[in-house]
Formats: sequence, C-alpha cells, structure tokens
Amino acid sequence: MANQEKILIARQEVQSALNEELTELPRRNSNKINEGIRNIGLRVASILTLILIWWLLSLFFPPTLIPKPSETFTEVATIVSTGNFFSGMGSTLRRVGVGFGIAMIVSIPLGILMGTLRSFESFFEPPVILGLTMPGLIWAVLMIMFFGLNETSAYAAVAITIMPMLAISIWQGTKSIDKDLIDMSKAFHASPWSKVVDVILPQLISHILAAIRYGLGLAWKVVVVVEMFGLSNGVGYQVVRGFNIFSMKAVLAWAISFLVVMIIIEFGMIGWLEKAVTKWRPRAEAWRR
Amino acid sequence: MAYVRVDGAVKFFDREDGTDMLVLEKVSFDAQENGITCLVGPSGCGKSTLLNAVSGLETLDQGHVEIVSNQSDAAHLPRIGYVFQDPRLLNWKRVEGNLIFALKGMRIPEEQWQERIQKYLNLVNLLEFRKQYPLYLSGGMRQRVGLARALVIEPEVLLMDEPYSKLDQLTARKLREDTLSICTRLKQTAVLVTHDVEEAAYMGDRIVILSARPAHVTEVVDNPFQPVARDLDDLRFIEFKKKLLKSVLRSMQ
Repeated sequence: MANQEKILIARQEVQSALNEELTELPRRNSNKINEGIRNIGLRVASILTLILIWWLLSLFFPPTLIPKPSETFTEVATIVSTGNFFSGMGSTLRRVGVGFGIAMIVSIPLGILMGTLRSFESFFEPPVILGLTMPGLIWAVLMIMFFGLNETSAYAAVAITIMPMLAISIWQGTKSIDKDLIDMSKAFHASPWSKVVDVILPQLISHILAAIRYGLGLAWKVVVVVEMFGLSNGVGYQVVRGFNIFSMKAVLAWAISFLVVMIIIEFGMIGWLEKAVTKWRPRAEAWRR
Repeated sequence: MAYVRVDGAVKFFDREDGTDMLVLEKVSFDAQENGITCLVGPSGCGKSTLLNAVSGLETLDQGHVEIVSNQSDAAHLPRIGYVFQDPRLLNWKRVEGNLIFALKGMRIPEEQWQERIQKYLNLVNLLEFRKQYPLYLSGGMRQRVGLARALVIEPEVLLMDEPYSKLDQLTARKLREDTLSICTRLKQTAVLVTHDVEEAAYMGDRIVILSARPAHVTEVVDNPFQPVARDLDDLRFIEFKKKLLKSVLRSMQ
C-alpha cells in the first residue's frame, strides 16, 4: 500500500512538472535552415569564382585559345537547340549504360562468390588485380583492334575497364558481411534467395554505390576515348571534330555540357539512389563543422 | 506444444594449435513442456553451443537432441524461435519487415502474416513502431523486436541466448518481467541460457546448472515459486536465490 501511495505522489509531481513546462516549452536553437542556405551559397560561389577566373584569362588570350565564357555558353545553347547535343549525349550515355550493365551482371555474382568461397578468391584474384592495373586507354585500344570500329568495342571497353574495380569492392564488401546475421537467417530457415536478397545484398549496397561512383568516372573517360578513335557520333567524336576545325569554342561547349550531364547523374541520380537505399540509417553528421 | 530432450551431448572444438577441446561432456537434460528451462553456468562453459545444438545450427559429435512435439510426424520440422544476445535484426527492414523475414523463412501462409504481426508486436508493446527502422529504436526495443520475431512463427520451442546481458539493468529487468509474463500467457516451452543467477531464479521453472568447461550437468533445480509469485524483494525468494548461487559456485570448482 505504502508503495502505491508513493507512486501516486510521484506521478502527481511529474504531472505538475509537466504542466509548468507547458507554459514555457523548451525551444531548440534551430539554425539548420541557415546552415543549408550557407552550404548551397558556398557551392554557387565556388562555381562563380571559376567562371570569373575563366573570364579574366580570356581577356589576355585570343579567342581561338580561350574564348569568352559568354561566347562558349552561346555555343552550348546552339548545340542544345539544334538537337546535336541530345543525339551525341544519347549515344555516349547508351554506351556507358550498356557497358556498365554488363560489368554489373558479371561483377556482382563474381564478387560475392570471391568473398564467400576461398577457391574462387584464389582463382580470380590474379586476373582481377591485373585488370585493375591495366589503364583504361589500353583496354580501349585493344577492344577497337579486336572488335573493329563499332558499338561492340565501346560496350566491351567500358565493361572490361570497370569490371575489376566493381568486383574488388563487392568482394571486399562480402568479406565484411556480418556472420551473425547469416546464422540468424539459418535459424529462421531463410531460403537461399532470401539470404541473398534480404541479408547479403543490403549489406553490400554501400560498397556497390561507391563502386558505381568510381566506375562511372572511369567509364566516361574510356567511352570518350573510344569515340575519339573511330566512332562517328557521341561526345568524344564531337570533341575531336571541334579539334579538327580548331574550334576551341566547340570543344569547350561539348566539354561543359558533358560535365553538366555527368554532375546531374553523379550527384543527382546516384545521390538520390543512395538516400533512397540508406534511409534506414540515422544520419550522424553532428560532429561536422 | 513440445518439450526438448538432450541426451549425452558431446562436442569438441578445434583449438588454434589443431588439438581437440572438449566443450560439452555428455550433457543430458529435459526442458519441460509449457515452461522456461534455464541453463546456468560460468561464462564460456559451452551454454551457447548447447543452445545452438538444440536449434540445429551446430551438430553434436555424440548424443542427440530430440524435440518431441504433439504434431510430430516424420516430415515435420520443429519450429524453433531464436532470440540472440544481440538483437541481430535486419536494420534495413522495418520492424514488421523483420517479422515477415521469419514468417517467410518458416513458410507460414501469407494470409496469416498481418494478423500475427499485429498480435505479437502488440504483445511486446511495439505495435505503434511497426513501420519504424530498428536503428531508430532503443536497445531494449530492438531486443523486443527480436523477441517478437521469434514468437511470430509460433515456435514449439523458444530459445534465448543471454538476451538481456547487453542491456542496462533497468531495461533488462523490465524485459525479463515482460518475457516471463508473455511466456506464461502463451504457455511457451522455452530454453534460456544465462550466467546471471538472479535471472535464472526469476525466469526459470527449471534450472539446469552446468559446470565450467567441459560442461556437464551438476544439478537440476525445480523452481519452488510459481511465475507470478517470484518477487525479487521477497525474503524467501532471496533465500532461494542464495541457495542457487551456492550450487552454481560449487559447480565451478
């Protein structure tokens, strides 16, 4: 009985404390929004500074060497409005996309097998390391010599350049998988499919995303080289055309529009994908300044 | 429901230098139907190995484990619910997704899922968190999700491997009370591994005391208190706890 009375009294105390609280709710010092604006502002300022430096340089050099930013952006507008940009960019994106798809289909199972089976690891480690060391440029030359001047060589060059890198990061990721969760899935008799889809792949997703980021960087370089060598469309081809007529304006216009697309893909699409697949993880950025 | 019979369990582990290490030395005990059996013993004595052998995660070198169920037929696999020391949740799945993972694994027909999720999340007081991701929950709540995941398959035997050892004292105490009342209400056959004597006295209807490694059973004590009568502050209960502690200490020598 005595205990219950004590509890009652304690409850009343808590209640009255809560009521007092209500008159003046605790407020959190909130400058999150300001911080967001500041971060965006800094990024914009950074880009504007680059353009300013470019403009200053253009004052000292002839337009055949460094054209004015305004002229270059007019050229960008021209290639976009004539539709040249979309057909050229489309071909390049298709080549990267197909090459990437092939590389993923091969590398993900290969990486998982290398991470789980010792024999696979020993057998595939040398070729994967060798492949990683080979410069993308050489792969591009080899593939063109082998397949000829056609789409296949572009697909193959992209795929083979990024495959080792993808395989390595998935292989390492698989090795760091939580074994306790595998035991858990055994205890609940999860099917092999469920083990891969529900337990293994989600743990690999951050490795896969990091690999995609890095792989895209390599893929753009390789595909442009293949296009320069001997395809008749795509961003690389357009850059070479600009080079042949010695139009710095055209080269820069293609380079800039290519950059913009790459940035949209890398930060927009992949950033969004990353957020979507890691929303289960609380953000811990409190320590950053 | 079901009961567990472990008969002459022997298990060796490999030492680093390649020699054999005896972990379980002919362990035999019965886990009674509709009650909690506690396996108590010093740390590292092989309790978890024993539990893994019951669940089938580990195979024995000698002896056998029998799960005798009233729906036993040759093809029937015993349904075992496992609660681990760490919650071992799939952090990328919502609370209900973690339960579905178990339901799917145990081939429970899909039309029963929602009803069962509702029932067992309610039982562990987490119904309002069913759409939450585990990492947004506290340690105690995550352990409750682990308990709900084990119960949702309506196991014939519930196995718990030191489920409270990583929780703070208050959370652990509350969770023990809740687990005990849930198991009593569901008439759940359960085996709980612990090195905490008070926990064993509080949770166990039957307490099996194991020796230091290699483990064998030194004593089996049936709890004189009904689950509802176990009051941690009651003098007679404290007396029982002391007696139990003495037996456990004796078994370590």
